[in-house]
Amino acid sequence: MVLIIGGAFQGKLDYAKAEYGLQEKDVFHCDGGSMALDFDKKIINNMQRFVLACVREDIDPRECIDEHADKLHDKIIICDDISQGVVPMDATEREWREMTGRCLVHLGQQADKVIRVFCGIPEVIKGE
Amino acid sequence: MNIFISGGCKNGKSLHAQRLAQAMAREKDLPLYYIATMIPRDAEDDIRIERHIEARRGWGFTTLEQPVDLCRCLGDAGVDVGGVFLMDSVTALLSNEMFKADGSYDSDAGTKVAAELADFAARTGNTVFVSDYIYSDAREFDEVTENYRRSLAFCDRELAKACDQVIEVSFGVFKEWK
Repeated sequence: MVLIIGGAFQGKLDYAKAEYGLQEKDVFHCDGGSMALDFDKKIINNMQRFVLACVREDIDPRECIDEHADKLHDKIIICDDISQGVVPMDATEREWREMTGRCLVHLGQQADKVIRVFCGIPEVIKGE
Repeated sequence: MNIFISGGCKNGKSLHAQRLAQAMAREKDLPLYYIATMIPRDAEDDIRIERHIEARRGWGFTTLEQPVDLCRCLGDAGVDVGGVFLMDSVTALLSNEMFKADGSYDSDAGTKVAAELADFAARTGNTVFVSDYIYSDAREFDEVTENYRRSLAFCDRELAKACDQVIEVSFGVFKEWK
């Protein structure tokens, strides 16, 4: 598993497509309104929105991740780092912020490679 | 050398940018310019501007007021395009271009600003650009705010491509990405 993290709009998806020779058809975009994941796609983008959907349903996303571990091990997972802003007033957003952090710790442990993207520039922070 | 600096607020970006710009100017004995982008809207802004002017006093900067249409100042009388420029900040420039003084909103301002910034870098060759890293909030923003963030990130990425050096400032610690 490859995990790509960074702030919003930093060019994470563009980097993943270019680095691994993939196209839009290979990408599943998570939706904050649904916990659905498409394991036929190589890239799972906007993982933070999957976490948001889980939080709204009061489900721990780490359990879903563990449940599908065999299908996720060869995926490229892209997630916004939403941990460094203002603590939100809204309780759901607060829970979302914290749960995304926990999820990234969980995914980061399992990932063979973790890459942080800053202004379109990648940096490998785990693995080769 | 063109340098792009970003990072969180009050991390020491501006001070570091001033030092880099001044060092470049001194090294080659070049004129040193500061591009002032802020349009004061209230007394609080007046105080902030006063504080920034005070912080730059004695550094040797000539201030160029250019809150919109960035490249226009390069044509001003007495401005040497071969000098060293400090452009602080990309954030304010985009804000001025997107949310106009007359109250109108230009949703596509990011495209114009990114092109002007890259043009400015190419024409001067010795500019330090400062932007703000505003991309790690846990919020579902309204479309206007989200468009501003998306547009600023586009400007940042284009500048990161155009510049020779890219620096992230974290609480006074500098990381060179490029």
